[in-house]
Amino acid sequence: MDPQSTIVLGKAIGAGLAMIGAAGGGIGIGLSVGGAVMAMGRNPDHTATIQTNMILGVAFAEAVAIYALVVSLIILFVLS
Amino acid sequence: MNSFWNGKRRFVALLMFLAGVFVALRVPPVIPFIQLPGENFPAGFNVPFTDIRLTNTFVGSVIVWILLLLFVVYVSRRRPKDGNEVPTGGFYYLFEVLFEGLMGFVGGIAGGRHFRLIFNMFMTIFLVVLLANWMELIPGVDTIGFIHAHTKEKYDAQTGEYKVITTDGYEIYQGFLGISYVNGQCDWISPADEAAADQAALVAAEMAALNAEQELEVKAAYARYQAEHDDHSEGDQAEAAGGGHGDDHGEAAGESDQVADAYNEPLAAREAEKSARADRGCYTGVGPAPWADDGAEDAQADDKKRDIPLHPDPRSEEAKLVPWVVLPFVRVPSTDLNMTLTLALISFVMIQYIGFKALGIGYLTKFFNFGTLFKSPLGGIDVAVGLLELIGDFAKILSFSFRLLGNIFAGSILLFVMSFLVPILPWPFFILEFFVGVIQALVFALLTAIFMNLATISHHHDDEHDHADAH
Amino acid sequence: MSVLDNLGINPGLMLIWAIAFIVLYTVLTRFIYDPLTNVLNERRNRIAKGLEDAAAAARARENAEADAEKILAQARSEAQKVIDESRGRGEEVAGTIEQEARQEAARIQYDAQNEAVAIRNTELGNLREQVLNISVAVASRILDENISKTKQKALVNGFIADLPEGAKGLGGSVEVVSAMPLTEAEQGKISSEVGADEAEFTVDPSILGGLIVRWSGGMVDGSVRSQLNELARSLN
Repeated sequence: MDPQSTIVLGKAIGAGLAMIGAAGGGIGIGLSVGGAVMAMGRNPDHTATIQTNMILGVAFAEAVAIYALVVSLIILFVLS
Repeated sequence: MNSFWNGKRRFVALLMFLAGVFVALRVPPVIPFIQLPGENFPAGFNVPFTDIRLTNTFVGSVIVWILLLLFVVYVSRRRPKDGNEVPTGGFYYLFEVLFEGLMGFVGGIAGGRHFRLIFNMFMTIFLVVLLANWMELIPGVDTIGFIHAHTKEKYDAQTGEYKVITTDGYEIYQGFLGISYVNGQCDWISPADEAAADQAALVAAEMAALNAEQELEVKAAYARYQAEHDDHSEGDQAEAAGGGHGDDHGEAAGESDQVADAYNEPLAAREAEKSARADRGCYTGVGPAPWADDGAEDAQADDKKRDIPLHPDPRSEEAKLVPWVVLPFVRVPSTDLNMTLTLALISFVMIQYIGFKALGIGYLTKFFNFGTLFKSPLGGIDVAVGLLELIGDFAKILSFSFRLLGNIFAGSILLFVMSFLVPILPWPFFILEFFVGVIQALVFALLTAIFMNLATISHHHDDEHDHADAH
Repeated sequence: MSVLDNLGINPGLMLIWAIAFIVLYTVLTRFIYDPLTNVLNERRNRIAKGLEDAAAAARARENAEADAEKILAQARSEAQKVIDESRGRGEEVAGTIEQEARQEAARIQYDAQNEAVAIRNTELGNLREQVLNISVAVASRILDENISKTKQKALVNGFIADLPEGAKGLGGSVEVVSAMPLTEAEQGKISSEVGADEAEFTVDPSILGGLIVRWSGGMVDGSVRSQLNELARSLN
C-alpha cells in the first residue's frame, strides 16, 4: 500500500471515529427534548419557558456534537 | 402573467418532470466532489475592488443580499402606512403573519427594555440565514457551473505562491452543440497513472516471461538429468547432447510459444481493461501502449504527463490530459465558514454589547467573579464558574458557526447524493431540507436572542437586578 | 494560516460579510422593522379599541333589547285592553244598530202598510165614483126611467154610509167598518151620530155596503152582506 492511500485511510478512519462523539449529543438532545415535551404535556401554560430552556439545553448538548464535527472536518480537510 | 401562474398551468410541472426524466436518462450522473471551502472561480475572477479570488459561495452570498434588498423594497411598498390601512398583496400577508408571530415569540422570551434591539437582531439573522439555507433548494445551485479543469491550487506558505495540484476528476465529453459536459461514468485516470499502469503491465509480462523461461530451463535440466541416468554411454551422451540440441530446436517453437503466452497474458489483461473502458467511451491513456511500438512513444507520453495544462480549452486534445469537474457558479453560502463564522462573531459581539449596555461595567463580574473569593467558602468555585462562562462564550462562536455549517453542508451533500442515487425523485429530501433550513435559521436567531437576553440579566439577582432596573 | 486556508476562511471575505450584514441590519430596521412594528401596534390598539366598542355596543344593545321587550309587553297588554274594550263597544253598537234596524224595519213595514192601505183607500175612493155612475146606469136601465142623479147618489151614499140603529149615542172608542172609504163629511157626520170620543174608520170591501160599528161593549152589523145572508136564510 502506498503512503498516499495510507494517509487517506487514516484520515477516513480518524474522521469516522471522531464523529462517534456526535452520538453523545444525539442522546442529550433526545433526553432534553423528551423531558421538555413531557413537561409541556403536564403543564401547557408554561410552554414558552420550557421551550426556551429546552432550546438552550439542546444548543449546549449539540455543541458537543459540533466539537466532534469540527475535529472530523479538521482531520479531513486541514490535515494533509 | 397572473393568469399564467395561477395554478391552472400544472402542465408546467409535468414538463419539468419530463425534462428531469430526459436529463436523467441522457446525461450520466456526476459523482459529487466534496470540498469544504468555497470553490475558487477560474483565475481572473476576483471580488470587485479587491484581490480576493471569487468563490462560488461568495456569489451565493451576494445573491442572498440582493434578494433581501429586493425583499425590503417589496415589503416597504406593500406594507400599510398606518394602522387603519388594510394591507394588500398575497405574499406580503405571509410575511406579516410570520413577522407578527415571531414578534410574539421573541416577546415571550426577551420582552423587556431591550426588546427592540434583540428582536431586530433576531429577525435580521433569521431572514439572512433562512434565505441562505433555502438557496440549496433552487435547482441549478450546486450543479450548474463551469466545466473546470480540476486542479487544486494549494497555497505554499514558504514561497507565498499557489501551487497547482491535480486531483481526482472526470472526463469531459462534447454533447449537444459542442457543449462539453462531465462524464461521471469514467473515473479520471491521469496520463501518469495510465503510463504507470502500462509500465506495470509490461514489467509483469517480462517477469512472467522470465518465470516461464526459468521453468522451462528447470524442466530441461531435469530432462537431461533423467537422460544421464537412463544411458551412460559417451556417444549417447554426445548424441543426447546433439539430439538434445536438435530437440531444443524442435521444441523451441513450443517453448517460445509458452514464454510468449506468459509474456502476453498480463498485457492482454491490460488491453482488455483499456478496451472495456474505451467501450464505455472513456479515455484510455495517451498514445499507443509502450509494448506496441518503440520507446519513443513512451518518452512522448512521459513528456505529456509532465505539463498538464491548468486551464485548457475543453475542445482541444490537451483536454484529454486533464481531470474535469463541474465548478458550480453558485453554492449555498451557509456551507462556507466565512458566512457562518462572521454571523457567529456578530452574534457574539452583540451579546457582549448588550450585556455592557444593560449592566455597565458590572457585566464583567459574570466572568471575573472575585467578589466572593474571600467572603464565602465557595468563592473559589465562583471564580472557576466565571472563567468557565468566559470559555463558554467563546465556544459559542464555534458552536454557532459549525452548527449551521454542519447542518447545511450535510444537507446539500445529501441532496447531491440523493440526486445521484435517484435522479428523478429526490423530492422528499428537498422537503426535509426545506424544514431543516427553517429550523437552523430559527435556532441560530433564537439562540442569539436568548443569549442576548441572558446577558442583560444580572448574575447577582438580589442586588444588581434592582440596580440595573434603576438605570 | 494553513488551517484557516484549508477551512476556506478568508478574513477579507469575512469583513465583506460583516459590512453586508450591518448594512442589511440597518436597512431592514429602518425600512421594515420599525415602521411595521409601529403599524402593527397601531392596528392592535385599533382592534382592541374596536373590540371594546363592540362590547359596549353589545351591552347597549342588550339593554335596548330589554327595554324594547318591556315596552312591547306593555304595548301588548294595552292593545289587549283596547281590543277587549272595542269588542264590548262594538257588540253594544251592533246591538243598538240591530235594534235600530229592527225598529226601522218595523217602521218601514208599518209605513208601507199604511201607505198600502192609503193607496187602497184612494183607489177605492176613485172607484166609488165609478161604482156610483155604474150603479146609476144600471138602475136607470133596470127602472127604465131617468132617475135623478142626485137622488140616486144620495141613495147610494145612504147605502154606503147608513149608520144602523142601536149604534147611536155611544161613548168611548169605536171602530167603524165600511165597504168604501168614507168622505170626511161622512166621517164627521158618523162620528157625531155615534157620539164617540174617538172613531176609527176602516175599509173592508167584502161587506159590500153598509157599516159595521164595533165598540168595547159590542157591535152592530149593518152591512149588506149580513142582510143578504139574513135574506138567504129566510128564503130557504
